[in-house]
Amino acid sequence: MAIVDIEGVRKVYHRDSQEITVLDGINLRVPEGEFVALMGPSGSGKTTLLNLIAGIDRPTSGRVMVAGTDLSLLSEGALASWRSHNVGFIFQFYNLIPVLTAVENVELPLLLVRMSKAQRRERALTALRVVGLADRALHYPRQLSGGQEQRVAIARAIVTDPKVLVADEPTGDLDARSAQEILELMETLNKQFRKTIVMVTHDPRAAERAHVQRHLDKGVLTA
Amino acid sequence: MRYLPYILKHLRRNWMRTGSTIVAMSICIFLFCTLQTLIRAVTFNLKSANANILVMRHAVSLVFNLPIAYKERIASVPGVTRVGIANWFGGSRRPGEFRDFFPNFAIDDAFLEMYPEYIIPPDQEQAYRQDRRGCIIARKLSVERGWNIGDTFQLESFIPPYRVGRPFEFVVRAIYDADEKRHPGTVDNLMFFHYEYLYEMTNQRAGIGTYRIQIADPAQAGAISKAVDALFENSDAQTHTETEAAFRAGFVSLAGNLAYLLNAIGLAVTFTILLVTANTMSMAVRERRTEIAVLKTLGFPSGLVMGLILTESAALGALGGALALGLSSLAIGNLTKLPFIGDAVRGFPDLGLHPLVALLGFGLAVALGVLAGLIPAFLAFRARITDLLRSA
Ligand SMILES: Nc1ncnc2c1ncn2[C@@H]1O[C@H](COP(=O)(O)OP(=O)(O)OP(=O)(O)O)[C@@H](O)[C@H]1O
Ligand SMILES: [Mg+2]
Repeated sequence: MAIVDIEGVRKVYHRDSQEITVLDGINLRVPEGEFVALMGPSGSGKTTLLNLIAGIDRPTSGRVMVAGTDLSLLSEGALASWRSHNVGFIFQFYNLIPVLTAVENVELPLLLVRMSKAQRRERALTALRVVGLADRALHYPRQLSGGQEQRVAIARAIVTDPKVLVADEPTGDLDARSAQEILELMETLNKQFRKTIVMVTHDPRAAERAHVQRHLDKGVLTA
Repeated sequence: MRYLPYILKHLRRNWMRTGSTIVAMSICIFLFCTLQTLIRAVTFNLKSANANILVMRHAVSLVFNLPIAYKERIASVPGVTRVGIANWFGGSRRPGEFRDFFPNFAIDDAFLEMYPEYIIPPDQEQAYRQDRRGCIIARKLSVERGWNIGDTFQLESFIPPYRVGRPFEFVVRAIYDADEKRHPGTVDNLMFFHYEYLYEMTNQRAGIGTYRIQIADPAQAGAISKAVDALFENSDAQTHTETEAAFRAGFVSLAGNLAYLLNAIGLAVTFTILLVTANTMSMAVRERRTEIAVLKTLGFPSGLVMGLILTESAALGALGGALALGLSSLAIGNLTKLPFIGDAVRGFPDLGLHPLVALLGFGLAVALGVLAGLIPAFLAFRARITDLLRSA
């Protein structure tokens, strides 16, 4: 069964009196364990689609099923709780919290879970080990390079052990080498940890890492 | 609790802004606590007023004295049980210098009969009555100054008719304790001496500052006041008689008006601080739009995000409040040393930061903090993740 199952999704924005159709009848099935690259020109609706999958936005019409849950049936509160258990989000600009250390950033999603302080710290350090940054646990974001920041962000995304990872241009702000490292890490997460990954990217070399490439153009999946 | 480090770290990040907001907040609360204490000190006196004692003074002003001859005529009015005398002497170690001032009065023996709240051992009272220069001092004065029975000290008045070119010399003959049980609020730092002595020293020029008129039935206070004032309606020295409470209230009404004015200023300051803090918070939240989006993306419920912001805001208030309490207790302790204000509050007993005032001040600080955070917190509560991320 597909872990992401999108059917007939439309997303329409209203700006002034104008209607802007950003997604126009999207059907997308992603089997569990898949690594999908979502490509397309700027403004084609990639981020919008990704947000729907991650449950941080709702479609105008159509159905979004992720990890066996019909997201349209969930209230805002239930959706928030669902997100904390089922998806990890990786942003283009890392979006670490500058006043918190690396390990505190990674701990953040665990604050919502009942566990002891020591357990939380242990889990966060484990996640940092997975991304190879255990030795930077006490560093603040500004003391890290871009690639390191993104790896901390990935640790934060996986610390609750979600089934699905969504990434919006995770290498978009990185130099070639750091980008390479991030992609390798994502491959590892996919292969070794069996994470389903949906990644938006402009970079053809990044897309090559994925098993499947999908193209979005003017709100329609073309390939 | 597990969110506390997160909140504190945010406050610390922009320590300049946090610090200046806390200082502004603390000035506001400091003002509140100090003013409330001042007002409390001023109104304190009213509580101890007796309902069955009237005070008669010169109709024009306390500055003018009344003739001694009035005493008999007042006593003849039906319902009057006793008439005593009390003159504000205004004496201090050096005339007009109030650094170590305590209130002192020239009284007659009838006065003592009327005020049982000053508890004096019978043998001491006897000794006082027999010594022309004898005086009665409060236990507190005795302790503070080290004045014991038999000790002498000198005072000089700043009031012109009582200035006789040399100080008055007094012998401590009695020490009174305030009867706090039956008469809570009894002033515990007074000194009394014989009106006779004042009369003599001034070559019989001293008149009567106030007559204290004890009446049998407090309900008759109004009628008797009118009756005694009517006695002297056609005299040179017309009188004004009122209950002791009203007399004291009039005495402090000036201070009361001042308190009103200060309260108004305090309110304006409080409002300003609310705006300052609200501005700090909305700036803090605006520059944290992405961060709020991240928290929500991670699954933090909107209510929790709002709670975090409100807690941060309340913490600002609490820190300001704590600083203010420290400043206030320091300032109130030194209030008597200030020029002008010091003169006004000196003589009020128990001057200090009252726990209730402190609690109110701290509560106000926290409430202001919460209030200031309300709008930004609510905006963060409502904001949609996608909008926050797009506009960042
Ligand atoms: N809240 C909104 N209100 C109005 N229009 C919006 C809103 N969000 C997105 N859009 C519009 O929807 C379209 C698709 O946006 P989206 O961010 O999904 O594109 P994208 O494919 O991710 O582009 P990019 O590659 O530049 O990131 C754009 O034209 C954008 O202006
Ligand atoms: Mg995008």
